Amino acid sequence: MSVDFWINVGVLAGIYGIFTLGLQLNAGFTGLLNFGQAGFMAIGAYSIGILVVDHGWSLWLALPAAVLLACLASVVVGISSLRLRSDHFAIATIAFAEIVRYTLQNAAFSGGNQGILGFDDEWRAASGWMLSKLGAFGLGGYTQLPLLLVVWLSFVALLLALQGLQRTGWGRVLRAIREDEDATAALGKNVLSYKLQSLGLAAALAAIAGFFVALNVTYLYPTVFDPTFTFFGYAILVLGGFASYGGVAIGSLVFWALLEGTRLIDASLSAGQQASLRFIIVGLFLLLLSRLRPQGLLGNVNEMKVRP
Amino acid sequence: MSATPTVRASAAEDDASAVRSRLASPSRLTVLVAVMAVVFCLLAALFGLVPTAQATINGFVAGSYTGLGAIGLTLVLGILKLVNFAHGDLLVAGAYFTILFAWLGLPLPLAMLGAMVATAALALVTEKIVWQPLRQAKAGTLQLFLSAIGLGLVIRFSVQFFAGSQVRTLGANVVDSIALGPLRLGTLQAVALLVGLAAMLLVGLALRFTGIGKEMRAFADNRALAEVSGIDTQHVINMTWIVSGFLAGLAGILYATAIGSFNPNFGLTLLLSLFAATVLGGIGNAYGALVGGLVIGLSQEWSTLMFNARWKPAVGFALLILMLLFMPQGIFGRKKRGS
Amino acid sequence: MTAEPILEVANAVKSFDGLTAVAGASFTVEKGSITALIGPNGAGKTTMFDLLSGFAKPDSGAIRFAGQPITGKAPHRIARLGLVRTFQLTRVLAGMSVIDNMLLAAPRQPGQHLYSLLTAPRHANAAEDKARDAALSLLETFGLRSKAADYAGALSGGQRKLLEIARALMTEPSMVLLDEPMAGVNPTLGHTILDHIASLRQSNGTSFLFVEHDMDVVMNRADRIVVMAQGRVISMGTPEQIRADAAVIEAYLGGPAPEAKP
Repeated sequence: MSVDFWINVGVLAGIYGIFTLGLQLNAGFTGLLNFGQAGFMAIGAYSIGILVVDHGWSLWLALPAAVLLACLASVVVGISSLRLRSDHFAIATIAFAEIVRYTLQNAAFSGGNQGILGFDDEWRAASGWMLSKLGAFGLGGYTQLPLLLVVWLSFVALLLALQGLQRTGWGRVLRAIREDEDATAALGKNVLSYKLQSLGLAAALAAIAGFFVALNVTYLYPTVFDPTFTFFGYAILVLGGFASYGGVAIGSLVFWALLEGTRLIDASLSAGQQASLRFIIVGLFLLLLSRLRPQGLLGNVNEMKVRP
Repeated sequence: MSATPTVRASAAEDDASAVRSRLASPSRLTVLVAVMAVVFCLLAALFGLVPTAQATINGFVAGSYTGLGAIGLTLVLGILKLVNFAHGDLLVAGAYFTILFAWLGLPLPLAMLGAMVATAALALVTEKIVWQPLRQAKAGTLQLFLSAIGLGLVIRFSVQFFAGSQVRTLGANVVDSIALGPLRLGTLQAVALLVGLAAMLLVGLALRFTGIGKEMRAFADNRALAEVSGIDTQHVINMTWIVSGFLAGLAGILYATAIGSFNPNFGLTLLLSLFAATVLGGIGNAYGALVGGLVIGLSQEWSTLMFNARWKPAVGFALLILMLLFMPQGIFGRKKRGS
Repeated sequence: MTAEPILEVANAVKSFDGLTAVAGASFTVEKGSITALIGPNGAGKTTMFDLLSGFAKPDSGAIRFAGQPITGKAPHRIARLGLVRTFQLTRVLAGMSVIDNMLLAAPRQPGQHLYSLLTAPRHANAAEDKARDAALSLLETFGLRSKAADYAGALSGGQRKLLEIARALMTEPSMVLLDEPMAGVNPTLGHTILDHIASLRQSNGTSFLFVEHDMDVVMNRADRIVVMAQGRVISMGTPEQIRADAAVIEAYLGGPAPEAKP
């Protein structure tokens, strides 16, 4: 029982780790305040659900298609909003995420509040096969273990890939844009194009996270993708530290361990109160960290813009 | 690329070119009123006069709480350069303070007044424990954003912790209505409308004629200039939070009264409408926010003539995005240097 | 020196908010020259730099660089054509190392593009190694070699100025616009900067246009001088010609508004 609980914490940490890698790429390395990440995640997850359930696609084909669709959405959002001042861009992306959630809640194609069910048969087959192999080690009883393994393998692979990318000339241009986009443009770099690439990659990561969320909850409905979850990502980001991909992994683990740990506190609270308490804790995290340690646990204070 | 280095290098110079109140062009207000009138006539021709008039009344109700709510947002943005994502949750606090005080036994009107004072106090407390220290630490944009979001979560979910997430009412009679010829207006909505319009008028006059009102507007227009002219900075900031909180409380109560039933989550959705009103009116322009609020409220209610009412909030989002993209300086603002 | 122009500005106009910053300015810069742009405060010099580098679009008028029209082009396109600027207030990338500041500016780096990075990583590495050599030798020239690994934010004001100029040169420009290269720099360092500029012009034929307030520097270092006042070019010529020009003296002493000269 308790092992299953911690497996679940690990799954959430991995999924939101992937989600937050995108925010790190945007906010930590490009200086883009993307507050619409939950919207891209929703687009990814719903694309998979709709392609599989309504159009009979294979789940494994739907995944790359969903990643592509999320990228496409990011290009639309980016081309229109990336010219805006950074605070206006942040507001525009929140509005984008709200529009996505609102559309999913009210449109016919997304099943509204009923949501989408029954897209994960192929995953369950794969998961069952993995469980049968794990059974050889006496681990066959942990039904979420296959998801944990797949999520963390993906997370680590993506993290390493991004770390590698960040060390290239491409990564250097992104950091330059974070520092001063006019100076970067004055040196012949196409700032808008790089920002679009950064946003597009973040959207792709959000879509992959959305895929795993879908597998985890087995059922898609709009509140799973509430824009508030972008704030969870930022809490993980400030916890782990700016301009550090390793920090995302640490941040996500600590964040979810603490957050889910509140469930273990036996304080005779109602379920609703416990849920509220979790959000209050996230809020306090954001408040205290931005005040006390804005660079986070592993962040680099030299790469934090602290200019007013 | 659209912004020039000069723009960012010389924000002060930028502001200096906009010292005068940006609502100094009555012609734009006239144009706006004319456009709204034309839209009204078009809608009346298409959907009939009575439904259009009904939607217009509803629009004024929505416009009054949107406009009053947006004043605080725009003043804080203009004066403190702070995008206050927690502002929507101050409206929520206003509504729930009313419920709390009514539950403690105060008669409803007194409970409402108490709630506004309590929300103003809450806003001042956030200045003291969150914003003032962050300013002194010269916090960056992202730090301020995240703090505002964190603060919003703490307020909203503290409300939810104590009051629950179920739908509530302010406990007043929501069934009674007044007939104005063929139009029907809920009694509560009528009260909300009258109070809202009166409050808008009062706030407008106070900003225009009281010393602190003038100081706040001067600050929002050009902080550097205002500071040089000897205005007590911290006093103006404190007053800004008090006014911002008080009006947010009022707007929350008006919203709760007009809508009838609500839960603690209405702040975030409403916040985007408030942002839309703020941008529409020009950031830092309190009058602009009132006008912007009315435009948003009317647009949302008029949209119900064409689409299902559940798309109402989406109209607010769409207007916000369109304004940011095509008119970030607002309807009364002038194009800034280089843009 | 040939009289072939590298930069031609014709009737450039730019106004902000009803205020005209540049009011029909015309001038040319000769290829391989060191040209000073001078004028009293508010003459429109910085706005002119913004127009030349694409950070502001002229309301009317035409700008040609190396024979091509660049009017209203995006800053990065103008920079890629070989016309690079520095800023009046230095803009080093404080959160990056000195060497990263330099490598960023290197032109034609496959490592800076996702596609070529993924298809030909080895090629990207080779190009970056070459750029690193070039960057280190430029840093050597500017006396910043020992600081290569430091954060640019940790440099002194004068060193930042040097880094910004070195970084601009890293793009292999054919012309550099320097907005007050001496401002905030101690005079010795300032003269070192000017010496570098003179030797670069000598060795690479790079053209320079710089804004400067110190008249001694302008008269001693510039081949040609362009004088702006109230958004117009009121005089152009060699230091001797400018020294003798009554309109210039009038503009500096605040006499009646000078007439624009053709």
